[in-house]
Amino acid sequence: MGMRTEERLVRWLTYALLLLGLAAVAVPFWYMLVTSLKPQSFIFEVPPRLWPTQATLGNYAAALSKDSFGLYFLNSLLVAVASVSLTVLISALLAYAFARLHFSGKEPLFNLLLLGMMIPPVMLIIPQFIIAKQLKLFNSLLGLILVYVTMNLSIQTFLLRGFFEGIPKDLEEAALIDGAGQWTIFSRVVLPLSRPGLAVVTIFTFLYSWDEFPWAHVAIKETTKRTLPIAIALFQSQHLTEWGQVFAASIVALIPVVVVFVIFQRNFIRGVTTTGLKG
Amino acid sequence: MSSRESKPAPRFAEGRAAVPTVSDTIAEFAPRRPRVRLSRPLTRAAAAAPFIIPGLALYLTFILAPMVYSFAISFFEWNIVRPPLSEWVGLANYRQALGNPIFRRAVLNTLAYAAVTVPGQMAIGLFVAVLLNQQIRARAFFRVVYYLPVITSWVIVSLLFEYMFVGQSGLVNYLLRDVLHLIRENVRWLADPVLAFVPIHLLGIWKGAGWTAIIFLAGLQAIPEQLHEAASVDGAGRLSRFRHITLPLLRPTLVFLIVVLTIGGLNAYISFLLITDGGNPLDLTHSVLTLMYEATFTRLEFGYGSSISYLLTAFVFVISVFQLRLLRRRVEL
Amino acid sequence: MKTLHSRFTVFGPLAVLAVILAACAPAATPAPISAPAAEPTAAPSTEAPAEPAPVEPVAITYWHTMSDPETAQLETVVAAFEAANPDITVETTRYAYDDFKPALLTSIAGGEAPDTARLDIIWVPEFAELGALMQLDGAMAEFEAIAADLFPGPLATNHWDGHYFGLPQNTNTQVLLWNEGRFQELGLTAPPQSAAEFAEVACQLSSPADERYGYALGGTYFWAPAPIFYAMGGKVVDEGITTSTGYVNGPDSVAAFSLLNDLYQQGCISPNVLGGGIGTADGHATGAYAMITDGPWMVDIYKGSYPDFEVNFAPIPSGPDGTTSSVVGGEDAVVFADTDQADAAMEWVAFLLSEDAQRTMAEVGVIPTRSSLVGDPSLPPYFDIFLQQLETAQARVPHPKWSDMDGAINNAFQRVLRGDQTVQQALDQAAGEINSLITG
Repeated sequence: MGMRTEERLVRWLTYALLLLGLAAVAVPFWYMLVTSLKPQSFIFEVPPRLWPTQATLGNYAAALSKDSFGLYFLNSLLVAVASVSLTVLISALLAYAFARLHFSGKEPLFNLLLLGMMIPPVMLIIPQFIIAKQLKLFNSLLGLILVYVTMNLSIQTFLLRGFFEGIPKDLEEAALIDGAGQWTIFSRVVLPLSRPGLAVVTIFTFLYSWDEFPWAHVAIKETTKRTLPIAIALFQSQHLTEWGQVFAASIVALIPVVVVFVIFQRNFIRGVTTTGLKG
Repeated sequence: MSSRESKPAPRFAEGRAAVPTVSDTIAEFAPRRPRVRLSRPLTRAAAAAPFIIPGLALYLTFILAPMVYSFAISFFEWNIVRPPLSEWVGLANYRQALGNPIFRRAVLNTLAYAAVTVPGQMAIGLFVAVLLNQQIRARAFFRVVYYLPVITSWVIVSLLFEYMFVGQSGLVNYLLRDVLHLIRENVRWLADPVLAFVPIHLLGIWKGAGWTAIIFLAGLQAIPEQLHEAASVDGAGRLSRFRHITLPLLRPTLVFLIVVLTIGGLNAYISFLLITDGGNPLDLTHSVLTLMYEATFTRLEFGYGSSISYLLTAFVFVISVFQLRLLRRRVEL
Repeated sequence: MKTLHSRFTVFGPLAVLAVILAACAPAATPAPISAPAAEPTAAPSTEAPAEPAPVEPVAITYWHTMSDPETAQLETVVAAFEAANPDITVETTRYAYDDFKPALLTSIAGGEAPDTARLDIIWVPEFAELGALMQLDGAMAEFEAIAADLFPGPLATNHWDGHYFGLPQNTNTQVLLWNEGRFQELGLTAPPQSAAEFAEVACQLSSPADERYGYALGGTYFWAPAPIFYAMGGKVVDEGITTSTGYVNGPDSVAAFSLLNDLYQQGCISPNVLGGGIGTADGHATGAYAMITDGPWMVDIYKGSYPDFEVNFAPIPSGPDGTTSSVVGGEDAVVFADTDQADAAMEWVAFLLSEDAQRTMAEVGVIPTRSSLVGDPSLPPYFDIFLQQLETAQARVPHPKWSDMDGAINNAFQRVLRGDQTVQQALDQAAGEINSLITG
């Protein structure tokens, strides 16, 4: 009897705390949403209101009709989808090699790969630019994609390696006994069992590619190939920032990211569980 | 902790492919590979090659080569228009950085930021994860909302926080002064070299707590229910169970998070740049990376900027290696 | 299992398609073809006119950071240029102001600099010293003719090491903006004309308790106090840029900063000067700041964001010797040294400096640099006050290390406002720092 009441109490307390926390997490977003509905003259009104006195969709209209917003959105989508698929593929290949294959220099090579996680990316932009240009990848979406994939390799391989190492070997051993080669084992046995881990990589890489700014800003010089973060940055002109439009554009930009998260998040929890974080 | 053998089998049936199974135990003590046909190193390398080459090629081209380039230019006074005209200065850039009081202050700010935000994210993340680990309704909804700060770009969120902490009509001042009556005059957050860090640190914690929570949640979900049940049957209360079962089993998760969050904290950059407008006031609110950015792109001192990045990288590397060594001591389950 | 699998099977081909699309995209744009030398101008010749060599179409790039209305207007200028020069096309790209310099530098480092660009006047000496810009005097045919017609101040911003590395595309200055509504609340009808009046009025219009101030500065960076500084007779360095001792810490400079500091300490200047407050543009329109100093772009900005607000301009209050002054801003058009289309690029720059192009841009609040356009009926009426102010406005120091000098003055001003140093002490320190930058 006492146990039941205690459980119920704990549950109600949990709801209360979560809702309180929700307020803390959601208020900045709510404020962003509300501000996007305010005309500029109300943005700095005193007292600040959490509900617009004069709601307007003008910011959305202005933001979306500006500067080929739709085009930048599509470019971002294209780049993100391509980056994600390549990253998933290449880091899975790498992670499998580290998790299951044996070759000399494996651990030192892995440590070298980890080094890539520790470098501030902004430091690499100029040499990456020079190299991309030498390889004729400058001002191309493909150049954008390849660099995005590379920048994610270290951490995604690290994650996937742990995941692969956590998969029980029985199935693989059975396949080996049946005479299967490494590639078959990889694609027919290990990959299908790794959907959660691959979902993790998908979400992380999509996020990165969707929001990336510094490289996209310098590597693309043609307006028709620009990505979304650039469009949002252009709302800040030298003399005045149109906050309402900035927030309106950002909310529109958030939609695909939320969609991707919602779709993959069920796998996500299971995926993170097996990435070797548990030791 | 309980050894591998006594781990209960039913967990695997619940679909959580998390932990090592009995067959792993066997594999550990039995010969590694039941059918190793040719064990010559060359053939093994050949087998591994197709898996490694695509990733390695990209990595060498777009990360390693640029790293070498950046490292090289840190020893020059680098001229980006006519590189051959660059002047060799040896360690002068490094010495200049280490001797610069602004740099030292930036290091302090960066360390303080990591020292505050890493535990902050861990504590709040763990707390939220514990809450979300219960059998409550709308779990998915809560997850999505708590994850929202993570998926929004740093630029937008920094601007949002800057906007909320504006001195005259910002939300925070409004709440503190007009609603809660905790202060009498509006606080000029962003004008003060110490108070400016309040929004910056809050932002760091706010943004990362959700991510940390999800990872902790995964870790919590992998802890077998049976352990908790057995313990409570033995009379252990919630707190005691948390301390003696949950925390120890979470240790690898904790260490992983410490490593990754620390790397992130030491690399803090966008929030500093946007909220303090580049070291405002008086260059007292720089982070190491904003300093590097300013040196490189505002004052065109490329070699010097590069030396700052490498000092930071070296420091991050040392700390990460140290933390990863801790990871080696895994918890045997 | 099946549903998850199908999700990835849909994903797979989609992804492949995406990669292919991305790879194909770069082929879409025509690469700039290097042109043969542009047709020589007809020489006074005895030879029979030769067959004009077939000129291949040439594309040149132009990067800028113009605001929305300016960018739209630029298209008109480009169209006019392309109509007059059918063998040249101009590709314009707009960049976000805050990130423009890194983008330029990275592009230069990678050998992908644009052919032409519109740079902040402050950057021209820096980029010139780097060797990134093309010298225009001696290379551009129309240079002398154009230069003769330009305001001297803006032209001087392109000068480095004995040569000119750009031409001033537009200029501007700051004037006083006064909120008539606020003034009338206190029975005032006209803006202050002298520094003393200014100080008085600023304090009359301030009530810190209501967070309303008579005057607001955008920050402590030099551009903000510069109008008052110059109007009061302040100077940063001597004419030859050899020293700043006696200049930035000279009596007039000290007087200027003392005026501002006193007003601040008395609560007549908004504390947002130290950061973290409402911007001057928003504050002025909402009445929080009765007076600010700003430039001609405010007209279009207010039209867009605060359409009910009527902006009023006035000259910067004059200093003790009775004369007004202000600070020169603006942008210069430059040609990059590594361009392969030097001739087409210079044609474009010359066109930007033509009277027609300048008149077109004037429609969106961009002040021309040609003195022949003063009094031109097609210019918006509010230009008059700015053109008037430009007669006395002064340029900041055209030196590659200007941003560090700005930093020295910025920090000095901060220390003064925070009470860490007296004005004289702070400026003495700044003088020392600026001197080492000059000898640097």
